[in-house]
Amino acid sequence: MKKFKRLTALVLALTLAMASLSGCGKAKEDDKATTSEAVEATETADGEELTGADKYPEFLTVDVFSNQSNFQGIQAGWFGKIVKEKFNMELNIIAPNVAGGGDTLYQTRSAAGNLGDIVFMGSENGRLSDMIEANLLLDITDYVANSEYIKTYTQGIEWMKSVGGTDKIYAIPSLVSTQSATTPSEGLDLTYGPYIRWDYYTELGTPEIKTFEDLLPILKQMQDAHPTSDSGKPTYAISLFKDWDGNMMNNAKQPTCLYGYDEMGFVLSKADGTDYQSIIDSDSQYVRVLKFFFDANQMGLVDPESTTQDYSIMYTKYQDGAVLYSPWPWLGQSAYNTVDNKAAGKGFMVAPVQDMTILSNGCSPQGDKYVASVGAKAKDPQRMVDFLDWLYSPEGIMTNCAPIDGTCGPEGMTWEMVDGRPELTELGKELLLNGDGAVPDEFGGGSWKEGSSWIAFNAVLQSDINPNTGFSYKYNLWDSVLELKETPLDTSWKEKMGAKSTLEYLQNNNQILIAPGCDFLSPAEDAQISTLRSQCKAIIVENSWKMIFADSEDEFNSLLATMQDQVKGLGYDEVLEFDMQNAKDQNAARDAVR
Amino acid sequence: MRQIKATNGEKVGILKRIPHDKKLFFMIAPFLVLVLIFSYFPLYGWVYAFYDYRAPLPLSKCDFVGFKWFKFLFANKYQIAEVVRVLRNTLAMSGLGILTSFLPLLFAVFLNEIKSKRFRKFVQTFTTLPNFISWVLVYSVAFSLFSTTGMFNNLLMELGWISEPLKFLDSDSHTWLTMLLWNIWKTLGWGAIMYLAAIAGIDQELYEAARVDGAGRFKLIRHITIPALLPTYFVLLMLSIANLLSNGMDQYFVFANSFNKQHIEVLDLYVYNLGITSARSLSLATAVSMMKSFVSVTLLCVVNFMSKKTRGESIV
Repeated sequence: MKKFKRLTALVLALTLAMASLSGCGKAKEDDKATTSEAVEATETADGEELTGADKYPEFLTVDVFSNQSNFQGIQAGWFGKIVKEKFNMELNIIAPNVAGGGDTLYQTRSAAGNLGDIVFMGSENGRLSDMIEANLLLDITDYVANSEYIKTYTQGIEWMKSVGGTDKIYAIPSLVSTQSATTPSEGLDLTYGPYIRWDYYTELGTPEIKTFEDLLPILKQMQDAHPTSDSGKPTYAISLFKDWDGNMMNNAKQPTCLYGYDEMGFVLSKADGTDYQSIIDSDSQYVRVLKFFFDANQMGLVDPESTTQDYSIMYTKYQDGAVLYSPWPWLGQSAYNTVDNKAAGKGFMVAPVQDMTILSNGCSPQGDKYVASVGAKAKDPQRMVDFLDWLYSPEGIMTNCAPIDGTCGPEGMTWEMVDGRPELTELGKELLLNGDGAVPDEFGGGSWKEGSSWIAFNAVLQSDINPNTGFSYKYNLWDSVLELKETPLDTSWKEKMGAKSTLEYLQNNNQILIAPGCDFLSPAEDAQISTLRSQCKAIIVENSWKMIFADSEDEFNSLLATMQDQVKGLGYDEVLEFDMQNAKDQNAARDAVR
Repeated sequence: MRQIKATNGEKVGILKRIPHDKKLFFMIAPFLVLVLIFSYFPLYGWVYAFYDYRAPLPLSKCDFVGFKWFKFLFANKYQIAEVVRVLRNTLAMSGLGILTSFLPLLFAVFLNEIKSKRFRKFVQTFTTLPNFISWVLVYSVAFSLFSTTGMFNNLLMELGWISEPLKFLDSDSHTWLTMLLWNIWKTLGWGAIMYLAAIAGIDQELYEAARVDGAGRFKLIRHITIPALLPTYFVLLMLSIANLLSNGMDQYFVFANSFNKQHIEVLDLYVYNLGITSARSLSLATAVSMMKSFVSVTLLCVVNFMSKKTRGESIV
């Protein structure tokens, strides 16, 4: 008997070993990816309409693959509560940005055959057709036909059909707009701009800034006059980070947008189609900016931690007032322009650089290349489409608000209609004008920012008009909110610039270059080009950083020469030719809607 | 085949009825299965080196390109220069590792000479622990100590010894050496365990006989301990030579940045950077790692042959 027991033990051990191995196979993968937790719903909806657990009896945890999200994990807080109440599900956000390693997560998950139940992904570079061909996405044609809002965006849907190379519906574009292609899509501030600490700039008597390089002596004086931040740490005019480096160093690309350029691989193309530059050319805008940062570093204006820090560390420096220049309004202003700071006259405002013509992305009637899809293995496709449909509804658009910018949350919580126009409630003012704050328990508790929607998908362009209110979705554009913004900082800026907003100032001075919203998408590149590109871009990024922190101008120039020589040897020209063709095709598509 | 028979007429147990050698085979069978699944099955992945593979598409929908990616590595002098640079880093850091591979041995020997048992245990635990800290955490420690606003720089600034923070992490000076030091710090105690075990196995009579003959402590080490450890040392040395090209990537991955990349990018990291982080070069990365495997196997055979010739022992 004893012997038999021993044999049984051996067999058991074997079985266990096999079982644990089979975990690597497909079966387990599917098992893991299913959304169903089969948890009993704990709440019952009390509305008249069928919602929540009444409509969807089975509680689901939905995997949301969001290529642009900066949060990974279960969506919590007030937005999570609303989704739970409406759809009886929670969102498990899967974010390559957080996971790191660039494309790694997309590659491994897609190779394993399941990206998620809901997929937010770029459709360019042949991605969409690849995903359709690899059976990663669900054909939602029939579901869309029965939807309330999605089906009205026919232009976008048709566009995505042609991008995907199919006559079925697999994807719906984001940022759909009813405005014309040549209207700036951004709102009061553009995406890019030279934002500086306005209070320090006025202390210097608002000296003239003829061109971008003139900022350097001004920033130097500002830094010398204010060597420490609000908390007593050393102040630097410029702080850089490496997280978003791609085909080139991200920080060095931004100022080229001040002159109307945008990247297309290794090409910087001017939005009006008049100029196409190879980034590594010695006279390119990109090298100009590298030189700018090099000079800044020579003058002691660049934060020495730039080389090692990441975005979040840098962001805390902005919050502390330890950085004086911001290439984007949504960095400097959202970090530092709090109600208190603005009341004290402190904050980031756009600097009047005289020769700039800032790039602005026009609205797109057909939407943007970043699309929403339902995963092929989604447990309850109808509910997934219902959720997407809700994101396209006026209510969904207002509620699905990102932590930084955009819409302002659900009606009745942060805003309400007063005398026929939308106004922020007291809670709304507290949460939105300060950028963060505690949300009362009745709305789900937690902080405003943590509870905001982290799915990073804007269904409709937020500067469009909300049919329910007659005002834009974006609360920053509401008259009632503009009236709130009469702070000393705003007044000081308005007096000097003679305009009510950045947009108005730039329009008055003819300093906007609009890239019309067109239906161009960069095509799939073959493995040869990708491989050449990945080697070249690593060298370009590496040398760009070295050039900025070079000890002398000779070293700067020799690094540049080395870089040019090396990437050309590694097949840069072949990639450049491909990118150049794309840039020209893009311009042709823009011309068509101009 | 040898049959085991019950000698005293009792009921024969089921295990006893299985022949002895089969029984032994069954005992190692699970591990053979593990080896098959985790070491041989993945070799199927080599097939990717011969295709233009794109992540979501199944292999059947990708183009077969033959040896394109193998040729790609030697396409022109710049490409070759890249490969040479990466190989130089790999060999340099592996070589430094091999040159210092006697350190754990010495450490074990000296540790063994400590008379106070408690102190010895303390030192052993203390030096073994770093092995269990992942490189990511090691880097975060390194970052808080050595970044421009790290403890070390702050200390030097407070003392007034320097006016500008020193760049420890984001500079290219002595990259190989720094990496070696980090590696030694992390693995020294762990590497010594094997030798400590070997020391425990040395026949105590040898020591007694030597003491009778008047040998002091250093003579005991010189003439008994070290010669007894050498076989272990050589086996480990040969294995590490076979692993010359694969010195891992996690350490170099976490410490890498634009400034030290020239000298820190080892083969494994190069394969990762090429194949995984940037889309669609997976095929090339597979080709590189395939060649790496061939080189490793060849090296192992060469070393084994040399060992047989010079020491009369082989390891495989």
